[in-house]
This record gives sequence, structure tokens and C-alpha cells, in this order.
Amino acid sequence: MIAKIKNFRPTNFHLWMAVLAIFITVGVGTGIYVIINGLYLTNLSDLVPWGLWITVDLSSIALSAGAFLFCAAVYLLKLKEYEPIARTAAYIGLIGYGMAMMCLLLDIGRPDRFWHGFVFWNVHSVLWEVTMCVGLYFSVLMLENMPNFARLPWLRAKFPRLVVKMESVHHYAPYLAVAGLGLSLLHQSSLGATYGVLIARPIWYRPGLAALFIISAGAGGMAMTTLATWIVGRLQPESNVRVDLLNKVAKFLGWWLVPYLYLRFWDVFAMTYTYQPGREEGLHLLTSGPLAVNFWFGEIILGALIPIVILLNERMRRNPITRTAALVMVIGGVIAYRWDTNMVGQLVVQAPIPMSNLPVYTQYFPSAVEISAALGILAIGLMIFTLGAKYLKIVDHNPEPALHAATD
Amino acid sequence: MTDTKLQRRDFLKLLATGVGATAILDAANKKQLFSPPESSAGHDSEYSWAMVIDQEKCIGCDYCDLACKASNDVAPDISWNHIYQADKVGEKDVYLPVPCQHCEHAPCVSVCPVGASYYREDGIVMMDYDLCIGCRYCQAACPYQARSFNWKDFDGDNPQVPEWGEPDVERRERGVVEKCTFCVQRIDRGLELGLTPGVDMSATPACVNACPTEARIFGNLNDPESNVSLALKNNPHYRLREELGTGTRIYYLPATDGSVEAS
Repeated sequence: MIAKIKNFRPTNFHLWMAVLAIFITVGVGTGIYVIINGLYLTNLSDLVPWGLWITVDLSSIALSAGAFLFCAAVYLLKLKEYEPIARTAAYIGLIGYGMAMMCLLLDIGRPDRFWHGFVFWNVHSVLWEVTMCVGLYFSVLMLENMPNFARLPWLRAKFPRLVVKMESVHHYAPYLAVAGLGLSLLHQSSLGATYGVLIARPIWYRPGLAALFIISAGAGGMAMTTLATWIVGRLQPESNVRVDLLNKVAKFLGWWLVPYLYLRFWDVFAMTYTYQPGREEGLHLLTSGPLAVNFWFGEIILGALIPIVILLNERMRRNPITRTAALVMVIGGVIAYRWDTNMVGQLVVQAPIPMSNLPVYTQYFPSAVEISAALGILAIGLMIFTLGAKYLKIVDHNPEPALHAATD
Repeated sequence: MTDTKLQRRDFLKLLATGVGATAILDAANKKQLFSPPESSAGHDSEYSWAMVIDQEKCIGCDYCDLACKASNDVAPDISWNHIYQADKVGEKDVYLPVPCQHCEHAPCVSVCPVGASYYREDGIVMMDYDLCIGCRYCQAACPYQARSFNWKDFDGDNPQVPEWGEPDVERRERGVVEKCTFCVQRIDRGLELGLTPGVDMSATPACVNACPTEARIFGNLNDPESNVSLALKNNPHYRLREELGTGTRIYYLPATDGSVEAS
């Protein structure tokens, strides 16, 4: 034992875990501090009740969309070769939804009542539908990840019969894929509709938000899964990541981004044709105001345009550096879209004074408490992913995965 | 050929599915699953409360807000009665007091995921503070910014008590949303005692009682002889953001420069 400690040399893995642990400690500490003392510690207000945490929540759900897409591709469209990617995607999905729920728990005023949505139904509320879908889909993801958890060496040694049970969940993968597809399509688009149904705020009140949310989530989910797979493949050569598969996904993603870019641009462009009070001001914020850099660069140019060029050009797609850059940009673009959408409706203060065309704007920048807690939640996600990659072999493209070793 | 024929068993299965689906749709219709909820006031209720605010008379003194804060034990940093300086008519400043508008089709009621915002029979949009999870979706949805979130604990004395009145409701906890209730506690108690809200002070919202210029009138729209019904019959009036179709219960009598004689 002592010799073991004496011979301990910190590796990059240890260093990475230590950094994450620091962020988690600080983040969890701030989270508990906020829950004890109240949300007045944030920069949220009655004018901007939804801020950074909602953006993290929306983004992590969007970037988890790879789970339902790849599971549907493998188990419903029978694209069997993508099965190892689907396994990674399901694990990322579980982490993403876990992060989203942690964020929401922190963000709502009464975390002790988080379960009210499941018991006290308002079937007319789009947020109720989202709550139910997210809750149910998290259960689906748990089941989909049972074979993943069954790979834990310690579990295999101690509870071989349990491991067999956990692996057998895999037989129901097609049914889980159907459930996941239905639930995900519903709530991913309904998260857009959460904003889109609010008649009070004209910049939000559009049916297009639901479509844009599901399309951008698809892009983000694919990019996230591909990027994570590739990074683990680099750090763990024994996982034998099939770059040809990643390239196929990357090409598909490139095409997927084309309608997204078109719809997002058109969505904004169409609003310039007519005047509507409130909407015009929101449009100004987005295209020439404080959100303009985020919109033009984050969403349009870096978030979609350049990745399309890279991913649809064979040479640049095959180059790991440009491909990785494109994937990172797509992820950034999805987050930028969530941030812009959430902010733009709230930064225009609704003028209660009749016939007043004087726009009133407000501002929001997250407080240190919000940033620290958000980083903590991000670090939790990264740590669970790292541990999964190391101990559960979440990324493993070897032809015969050691799935049924316990049964042999 | 036999496999294309409908077997008795299949037919029964289909029949059962059809009957089941019809039963579900029927139940859904009865529960108004396919249409958004709306308040039932004016349809089958005896009362339909409304408020008329006369901008000609309002002097922007804030008395209504202070009385409201005392009566409803509202925290100092929260207001159920935002008072905006709207404009000028001639030399005179015009104010716009904006309490909860108690919409007929309230966006806050539709969006609340747990049904913590709801319609009372008499049209008042109420909050169930025990259900509210504090997600603040209603704040994003409200077109009138009538809702406030309890960002922090409200401990200690209420600075408006006792000068502006005594609290007659429980103080809200941190983490829930609150808003104007038309002082339901006064209405309900008043009706039990046989009083008329809007006429008898102890059955009337605190803001109406406190107004020094009698700019606020409160009463029952279902009674054609009530003070609100008469005020609306005899005066030009408007409501806020009527184009949204929310059907608000606060009516405003616009300020005039004196060239038009109001009756």
C-alpha cells in the first residue's frame, strides 16, 4: 500500500480529474449556498426571470439529442454499423439530461417541489409536457444505459447475475428507441414552443421556434457525439475509433446544417418585412444590438456557415483539425442560439403604456454565483463522461465488444 | 385468400380499440383537453369582478400601492400595483396604475406547469402558493408584468403596517410568484357578511379604499346596476393590450383635456 502511494506519479488523467474536482467543489458549494439563501444572489429579476441556468439547461438537452437520433438510426432504420456511436450517444444523453435537471433544480424557487409537475398536472402548459417528457425520457435513457453500466469491471466481478440482467435490457433497444424518438421529438420542439406560445412577446410568438429547436438540437447532438467519440479515440487508442464512421456522420451533419441555416436566416429575415411593436425591438437587439455579435458570428457564420463548408468538403472533413473545429463551432452555434432566443424576448421590456412606441430595454449579465454553479454542473458532466470513457469503455469501436463476457 | 379476410377475433379487437379510443376522446373533450381553459365568470357565475381606473382622477400618489402592501403583507421590494407615468394631457401628468389584469384568457394560467395559477368562478385569477414551484414561466408569459417573484425572504416588520392598514393574508414564502388578487380575502369575507364589494369598504380591495381621488371603482360586471357597469356604460374606456385577446378585467377611463365632457 505504502509502496503504491510512494510510486504514485500524477498522470494527465489525475490532473484533469483534480481540475474538475475543484470546479465541482466550488460549484456545488455555490449551489447549496443559493438554495439556502435564495435566488436574489443571482442577477435574475422580474424583468429577466430566465438567464444563464436556463441556457445551460436548454443547451445540455439540445446537445443530448444524439441519443435519440443514433438509437433511432441503429434500432429503427437498422443502420447497425453505428451501434457503437449510439452507445456513446446514449451515455452523453444521460449526462446531458442529468445536467439539465441539476440546473433546473437550482433555478426553480422551490427545489423541494420539483415533483409537482408529475403530480399536479396542467395539461395545457407546454412546460408541463416538457417536464413529463424529460422525466420519462430520463428513465428511457437509464434503461438504454443499463448495458453500459454492466461494463463496470467491479460490478462484473461482484454481481455477475445482475450484470446479465442489465445486459438483457439491450434486447428491448428497439422499443426504447421508439419511446426515445417520440419523447425527444415532443420535448425538444416543445422547448422552442415554450417561448413560441407566449403571445405577450412578439419576438418569441412564432411557430418556427419549435422547428428550429428540434433541428438545431439534432445538429448539436450529432456534433457533440462525434466530437466526444473522436477525443476519447485520441486519448484511448485501444478503443479503435472508426474514423470512417465519424466522417460519415460529419458529412450528414454538414447537410443537416443547410436547412437549419436557411430556416434560421429566413426566420429572422421574414420579420423585417412588416412592423410589429416589440418584435422590431427584439430584432434590433439580435441583428445590430448587444446580441448581434452572438447572432451573426456565433449562430450564422461560425455556428453554421463555416461548418457547412468544412463538413461538405471532403479534404477538410477528413482533416482532424478542421473537422474538430467544425464540430466545436456547431456546438457553440447551438448554445449561442439558445442564449439568444432566451435573452431576446426578455431584454425588450413590454411597454404597458398604450400607443407608446418608445422601446425600453433591460440588461442581464450572469452573476458570479450563476457562473460558478454553471461551471460546476458542466464539470460534473465532464467528470461522469471521463469516468465512463475510462471504466465503462463508453467509446469502444472494437468489432466484438466484451459485452457477453459475463455470460460465457 | 384467408389471410386477407377479417377474422372474428380481429374484428372484435378493432371494435374494442374503436370503443376505447372514442371513450378516451369523449373524456378528453369533457375535460376541455383540446381547448385552452378560460374563466367561467359571466357565463354561469353570479359575480364577475372588475375594476375601473379613472386616469382623469389619478394623481400618481402611490396610496393604492401602500395600502395594498399593508393589507396583503407585500415585501418592500415587490409591488402588486406598478404605477407608470404615462403621458401628459395639456399641463396635467397622466398616470397608469397596472395591477394584475385578471384576464379572461390569462397567459399565466395556460403556461403554469403545475396549475398553481387558476381561475376562480368569479373571474379572479388566483395563485396557489402551495403548488407554485417558482419556475417563473408565468412572469415571462404575462403581458402586463403584473407578477413578482419572491427572490428573498421577507422577514421582520412590514414598513407600511400599521400606517396603511393591517395584513389580512398570510405572508408568502421565498421562491414563489405572487400578484394582485383583487383582495379576495376581503371580497369573500364581505359576501359572507352580506356586504357588497365595491360599495362596502370592508368588502372592497384595499387600493380602492385608499385612493384619495376615488379614481378606482370596483364591482360586479354581472350586475347591470353596479358602479362598474354604470361607469363603463357612461364613459369611453379602454383596456391594456386588447389586441392580444386576453380579455382583461381592468378598464381604464382615459384622461381628457376637458374639451370632451364626460357624463
